[in-house]
Amino acid sequence: MIGSLLFLLTISFISGLTLGSYSVPILDIISGKLEPLQKTVLTQIRAPRVILAGFVGASLALSGASLQGLFRNPLADPGLIGVSAGAALGATSIIVLSNHFVPEFLAGPFLLPIAAIAGSMLVIMLLFTLTKGFKSKGTTYMLLIGIAINSISGVCIGFLTYISSDAELRSLTFWTMGSFGGVSWPLLVPAIILISLFLIWAIPSSRNLDLLQLGEIEAQRLGVNLKKLRFNIILSSAAIVGISVSLSGMIGFVGLVVPHLARLIGGVNHTYLLISSAIAGSSLMIVADLIARTFVQPAELPVGLITSAIGSPFFLYLIIRSKKL
Amino acid sequence: MIFVINTLEVKSIPAIILMIMSLNYTIDSLRISIKNMHFYYVIFFALAIIFNSSYAQEAICLPAKDDTRVVIAGGSITEIFYLLGIEDRIVALDITSNYPEEAKKFPSVGYVRMLSAEGLLSMNPTIILGENDMGPPTVIKQVRETGVELRIIPEKKSVQGIIEKIRCVAETMGVSSLAEELINHEFIDKYTQIKQNQDKILKKKVSAMVIYSMQGTSPIVCGTGESGDAFLELIGAENAFSAFEGWKPASAESILANDPDYIIITSRLLKRFSSIEELKNHPSLSQTTAAQNDNIIAKDGMAMMGFGPRTIDCALEVSKIISSE
Repeated sequence: MIGSLLFLLTISFISGLTLGSYSVPILDIISGKLEPLQKTVLTQIRAPRVILAGFVGASLALSGASLQGLFRNPLADPGLIGVSAGAALGATSIIVLSNHFVPEFLAGPFLLPIAAIAGSMLVIMLLFTLTKGFKSKGTTYMLLIGIAINSISGVCIGFLTYISSDAELRSLTFWTMGSFGGVSWPLLVPAIILISLFLIWAIPSSRNLDLLQLGEIEAQRLGVNLKKLRFNIILSSAAIVGISVSLSGMIGFVGLVVPHLARLIGGVNHTYLLISSAIAGSSLMIVADLIARTFVQPAELPVGLITSAIGSPFFLYLIIRSKKL
Repeated sequence: MIFVINTLEVKSIPAIILMIMSLNYTIDSLRISIKNMHFYYVIFFALAIIFNSSYAQEAICLPAKDDTRVVIAGGSITEIFYLLGIEDRIVALDITSNYPEEAKKFPSVGYVRMLSAEGLLSMNPTIILGENDMGPPTVIKQVRETGVELRIIPEKKSVQGIIEKIRCVAETMGVSSLAEELINHEFIDKYTQIKQNQDKILKKKVSAMVIYSMQGTSPIVCGTGESGDAFLELIGAENAFSAFEGWKPASAESILANDPDYIIITSRLLKRFSSIEELKNHPSLSQTTAAQNDNIIAKDGMAMMGFGPRTIDCALEVSKIISSE
């Protein structure tokens, strides 16, 4: 199963690299007969974009899968613990306030991602403090705190929207629909390294997640250190989602539904589930981005629209067909 | 250090102090003690400066190296191209370029603030011209890095500013003499007329409000700092809603409290009502001086607030109406 998913990922990666509004024929890439501008488009504009899409897709799907496992709740997604909202708050503050309060020399392409990461870190710290290091009480308590934090961020974003100018409002709207446009290597490389590290950190928890599905008390009897598991999963999810959202904006659907897709295709074993979700999320995102930038070329659609548009009908089809649920 | 001080502006110092204080507070609250804190502050500053990607302003209005294939992002620049009769050099436009009607036949590169680097380049332009709200900045940077010429035409929201814009575009495209002729024949004359009307209106102390939309709830009204406010300044009317910034919903009560003598709306808004009579009887407007004296003026939104050549004509018409009454 994972093999065929990897095959799918390879195909989507190659088509992502070779297709686009600017014509870069695949034969010319292989034979190395590219013109300078074609080369720049391929290496400086398209490649970072495809790679970012792949990593963001993998992050969102994997954190969705592990959070669903941790909370034993099929509706959990990265948005639930408030991380995306925190990142959105950070980004929104920069979009709306940077013209007035940020000194000229600090403004640059790094400012918005850093603010978004700071926003999601703030939420995680708050969650960490309020749950006494993810130790206190049960899972429901944490879910509820996540919901409360979400709505607090919502209020702040709403307020910022109200005071924003016409131009800022437009940027805000587009940011909330997500896009991989404009990403460059200097932004991408640190993000890839961090995301990879956290992905590798998260995957070994899969065995414990399997045990956790028996119930928290049973899992503890079987030797699962619940506190450590919570700590690992929440922190790694928060980090990868925060980094992803900071570079691409809000992209819905992938975190919630891709894990279910993976489950419907190949079962509920978490070792399989985490890895296959990451690969499936990655290829879905690359394909979605490919459609986003070619469908109305030379213009571009927000990628968040596409992920839902191709994902939801397919998901619906799988649910109706499987009859297992 | 001297370099640091040079790049600092006096007004940005409070912001930096605030940032350092918050950094300090975060570190304190995490109960981490860090040795050589000053050393880290220096690094922080250095990073801030390195990250400051300077969007170096290029020679803006100098003749283009090659002006044969032009992509335009910004409705007012497209208008200027048609005015100068050089529309045969256009290869693609953005979606705000909707005037004149035949401009719609060109391929669209999307919305002016949400352009895609690859989309722009796929049209093989020799030069890309954009309005000052062209973006996102990351995409502009990407395009510039490929070596394709990209100019952002400066904007000042006044009659003078529009004439300068025409001059700038004409000079870039190498048709300066044509533009000067047009300006001397047409615009200087119109400019003096607008000035005369403006003086009359200023003396009469007329207040006006600009309404953008009345979808569902309260009318969305123009405060200070936006194009609607600049248009009112152009004709010499006082903005009845100078109390807030930007486009905001205004309640029926506040509209009555600010009681404008004139109401200026977009023709698209008027289309939603069967007649100007029906608009006048709208509960939010019916009690105002403007509605009771039939002083409601409807004009095309882009002509009025796009600050292209049409804005001069539009300002002339509106100022004629108001000054003659």
